[in-house]
Amino acid sequence: MIQVKELNHQFKIGKKKRETIIPVLKNINLEVSKGEIVTIVGKSGSGKSTLLNLISGYIRPTEGNIFINNQNVSELSEGDWANFRINHLGFIFQSFQLIPSMTAYQNIELPLILKGASEVARKKQTLDMLEMVGLSDYKAFYPSELSGGQQQRVSIARALIVKPPIILADEPTGSLDSENEQELLNFIQKLNQDHNITFLIITHDDQVAKIGHRTIIIKDGKIQGGRSL
Amino acid sequence: MKFKDKIRFVRQNMKKNRMRVFMTILATAIGCAFLILLASVGFGLEKSIISDLTEGRLANEINVYHDKDFNQLNDEDVEILKQIEHVKTVTKRNTLHHEMMFKLEEYESYWPQVYATNFPSEIEAGLELSDGRMPQANDEIIVGYHFNEILTEGNGNEIVYYEEDLIGKTIDLQVIYYDKEEMKQSESFPVKIVGITKQPAPKVKEQFALISEPLLKEIEDFTVEAFLNPEQSNDEDVELNLDKEKTYDDVRIYTNHLENVSGVIEKLNELGYGNYSVTNQLGQINTLFLVIKIGLIFVGTIALLIASIGIFNTMTMSVTERTQDIGIMKAIGAHPSTIKQIFLIESSYIGLIGAFIGTLFAYVISIVINFVTPMIIEALSGNEGATTQDIMLTYIPISLVATSVSISLLVAIFSGWRPAKKATTVDVLKAMRRDI
Ligand SMILES: Nc1ncnc2c1ncn2[C@@H]1O[C@H](COP(=O)(O)OP(=O)(O)OP(=O)(O)O)[C@@H](O)[C@H]1O
Ligand SMILES: [Mg+2]
Repeated sequence: MIQVKELNHQFKIGKKKRETIIPVLKNINLEVSKGEIVTIVGKSGSGKSTLLNLISGYIRPTEGNIFINNQNVSELSEGDWANFRINHLGFIFQSFQLIPSMTAYQNIELPLILKGASEVARKKQTLDMLEMVGLSDYKAFYPSELSGGQQQRVSIARALIVKPPIILADEPTGSLDSENEQELLNFIQKLNQDHNITFLIITHDDQVAKIGHRTIIIKDGKIQGGRSL
Repeated sequence: MKFKDKIRFVRQNMKKNRMRVFMTILATAIGCAFLILLASVGFGLEKSIISDLTEGRLANEINVYHDKDFNQLNDEDVEILKQIEHVKTVTKRNTLHHEMMFKLEEYESYWPQVYATNFPSEIEAGLELSDGRMPQANDEIIVGYHFNEILTEGNGNEIVYYEEDLIGKTIDLQVIYYDKEEMKQSESFPVKIVGITKQPAPKVKEQFALISEPLLKEIEDFTVEAFLNPEQSNDEDVELNLDKEKTYDDVRIYTNHLENVSGVIEKLNELGYGNYSVTNQLGQINTLFLVIKIGLIFVGTIALLIASIGIFNTMTMSVTERTQDIGIMKAIGAHPSTIKQIFLIESSYIGLIGAFIGTLFAYVISIVINFVTPMIIEALSGNEGATTQDIMLTYIPISLVATSVSISLLVAIFSGWRPAKKATTVDVLKAMRRDI
């Protein structure tokens, strides 16, 4: 489902010609199969988010290739990446990333609008999704009027609405208390079992890491090894 | 993303900043109104001066007298004329050469000018009525604005014009002929007056009657029969007419635009058709006005360019304020072109609404100016005669509205371009790192 091949990445900071090069990821090889939950752990600053951002297409790798669904996404133009993203990937962020001026309903509906779905289909799917994450009564609430756990459920609903085969999550429980965290983990496992959705989850929380079928450890930009269940 | 949804997004965004958007629209509206008003002075003066010079003849009218062999034009020629580029319509009239008179109650008119014509093409050519309607039946006719002045009742020294309403009156068209005994006879064709032409320009008298082609045919059939009488066939004109195919003695071309008159005339000369047009005589003046109008539009556009700075500002702020939203939308898969379009639609929207309001402003101000100017001229010159000729200081043709709305839209898109482009380059990670 996801293959990362000989990936190197470095950041350049400072002014042109006098820039400093910061190598972040070194020779990363990684493979995630369909239906797997893979968790990535590592110390702060080890390059976990950078890896996920590369897989998400938010940044381009300095070297190496990434394949998702057998598509070499490193070659995609920005526009094609956008289309690929909306059709194949769902995203869950640590700070939810909901649009503040839109209600829960509108936030969940957004990917369908971007895809150009019809109004009728949109309405039905959005209401179904609200029901699924247990927020039917909150559809007219704005993000600022929802609790952290509720916001994260909205963002999961938004990620799921286009039925992506893969969900990428960077510290999805980072802003949640332990109760909400447990609830989210149960939900992820249920989605994985019922819909065979592949998850790639970054965390530094052991509880979260444990739900992975496999856990990958990154240290100083290199894959250190991993442990399987 | 569907266009309808983009519009919805744009409207929601604009609602959030009502005041700012309103001020920008206002600036655009003022710019657009200024552009229209400035140029409308050029259009107004052109209209007043040209209509004065041409004394009511339509400036886009070209009379065509003869073909290359100096023959009167026939249907074939008319078809050729219609094919010429920029020709809107061709009217063909025939003067009735018969001796005839109109008779309504005690009132009579001798030697009236009667033309047979095709009414649909007259309408296309811009024939307008001051009263009544266009003829529908063959025996319905239209008369000139001053027709009543030739309908007189008089015995000796006192002549009385017909003063009552002519519309709906049935009037006798009497065709005069001579019988076998060379006795004067007349045949009556009752016709109904259904329309009166528009008041012509000052100094022009319109006293004619327009009848339908079928009625002409009827009259001709009758006279031919009368003339076929061997003893009577000494009228050469009529004999000639019998042999020949149907021709027209008054053919006029109307071009779709004033500027195209000279082009059409060039083509006519090339084809050998004898022609005359007032506008061609005014060629120089036309070019001068074209230059003036373009110049005024150009100066007016500067006002819009100033407004465009406002649009640029508003759009830049709009993009900056929404950086986070844009980042999130890109993160979940919004196409860059979608984002660009949303912002371009927003600036076009401002431009269009501004242009619309500006056009309304311009019309209102123009009406006020045209109402007040004659009064001022009268007061200053103390000469009442000055105002009898309609002076039109400003005139806003649809083409001017279309031009300025297009310019506004272009300026709006132009000033929204950079902000929209900037929106597409928003960095997803930077935008998301901001705190909610
Ligand atoms: N845009 C950037 N420009 C320069 N350096 C960057 C940039 N983004 C990340 N880095 C550097 O790359 C390294 C890895 O950062 P990254 O965010 O991937 O760490 P992380 O493993 O996600 O850490 P954490 O657990 O704290 O989230 C850091 O040293 C960071 O300074
Ligand atoms: Mg991180």
